[in-house]
Amino acid sequence: MTLQEQIRSARMRTVLVLFLFAVLVALVVAAVYVFFGQGFGLIMALVAVGYGIFAYVAAGSIVASASGARPVSKEEAPELYRTVENAAIAAGLAKTPDIYLIDDAAPNAFAAGRTPEKAYVAATTGILALLDRRELEGVMAHEIAHVRNRDVRLMTLAAVMVGVISMIADMLLWATVFGGGRNSNNQNPIGAIIAIAAIILAPIGGALLQMALSRRREYLADATAAELTGDPEGLARALYKLAVDQHPLQHVNRATAHLWIESPLRDHRGLRSSVGGLFDTHPPLQERIDRLQEMGGFQLPPIPAGGAEA
Amino acid sequence: MTTILIIVGAIVLVVLVWLVLTYNGLVRLRNEAQQGESSIDIQLKRRADLIPNLVEAVKGYAAHEQEAFERVTAARAHALEARTLGDKAAADGETRSALGGLLAVAEAYPELRAVESFTLLQTELSDTEDKIAAARRYYNNVVQRYNTKQQSFPASAIAGTFGFAPREFYRIEDDAERDPVKVEIAG
Repeated sequence: MTLQEQIRSARMRTVLVLFLFAVLVALVVAAVYVFFGQGFGLIMALVAVGYGIFAYVAAGSIVASASGARPVSKEEAPELYRTVENAAIAAGLAKTPDIYLIDDAAPNAFAAGRTPEKAYVAATTGILALLDRRELEGVMAHEIAHVRNRDVRLMTLAAVMVGVISMIADMLLWATVFGGGRNSNNQNPIGAIIAIAAIILAPIGGALLQMALSRRREYLADATAAELTGDPEGLARALYKLAVDQHPLQHVNRATAHLWIESPLRDHRGLRSSVGGLFDTHPPLQERIDRLQEMGGFQLPPIPAGGAEA
Repeated sequence: MTTILIIVGAIVLVVLVWLVLTYNGLVRLRNEAQQGESSIDIQLKRRADLIPNLVEAVKGYAAHEQEAFERVTAARAHALEARTLGDKAAADGETRSALGGLLAVAEAYPELRAVESFTLLQTELSDTEDKIAAARRYYNNVVQRYNTKQQSFPASAIAGTFGFAPREFYRIEDDAERDPVKVEIAG
């Protein structure tokens, strides 16, 4: 696929995943209705919405402190500053995002902040040491692409939705254990079976969709980054180096894994996905490199087997 | 009777919503293109501001290279005069190739390349060249989207009615485009 085709395809798949999310939420709502009837269902919906808003607001301030990032000056990291500024200009952002540095030998980088105005990007000292300028440009363009595509907001929303779905499912499960809902005996049995299935499957389905969405947005950010720099090979070379690198990241947290350029979770890095890679936040590096090669018309050597194992 | 009225009303409403969305989309893209052009202007201005210092720095060591200085100064004047996008792009290309000549002159003076203020200027210049290129990519991307949207049916009907004109791409028409100025950073 060419670059523009990949961008279009990633956008359409995002819409598909969001549609499935909506179906899932509808299923959960239906389950609540079947179990408790309208009155209690409404109260539960209010609690869920309240929890969702609280979680969404609270999620904003977590990332930087959790990853040990500190603001860095232009004098301290001129190369990093220039690459971020250039990517921001190419993306047409109104302002260059704030730039943070993480003292960690593991090479990685992330973007955070829900709107482009409040966005910031962070890079580890390890990635600055590992990559040359062209490769760093690709990586920072990938992060700026996340900012421009509003991925942080999207993924925060997805995480909150999964949280809300799990919460409702838990409540329903407790209700079922302690004698079932008020209305359950006068509903038809098929409805009740569907409702129970929804309770059990909804949280798993939500998590699967969340990860699928994250992987779609990674592909999209790669394609956008190639558009921003006009150089897919730079990013591909960077990903190759990251695949071969051996350092584990220190401040690892499953909750923020989707933000990084590559998965910070060692077990989820693999070359080709094992077990379908359904619970991974990132597509396998080799597949991301393959796609960049396809749009750029160049060829890197394949990642050596075991290269990504610690 | 009422059913037919409702159906007609719904169709009219859908068409109206589509009209408003398409019109706003065109306006948004046109503004983004305008913003993209300003972004190019800012970087071109930044380069123009660097040139006098650069010329002074090289003059201190190679005062006899008059031709190179004159070419750069003339190109800078053209860049500052340019008003249309085409003129800006032409002056941009001229400036690039003139700067390439000036830096080639500087290459011959190792003691000049050792001066810290000169290497700083070179770094600034190379950074500005990158930023001009980035701003140009953004502008051309937006113009491509704007022109495509405006020319595809049925949005083209709205574009025609409300006078959305296609925009030109920012193209540098000389060799400098294919062979960009190589600014080596000392050390």
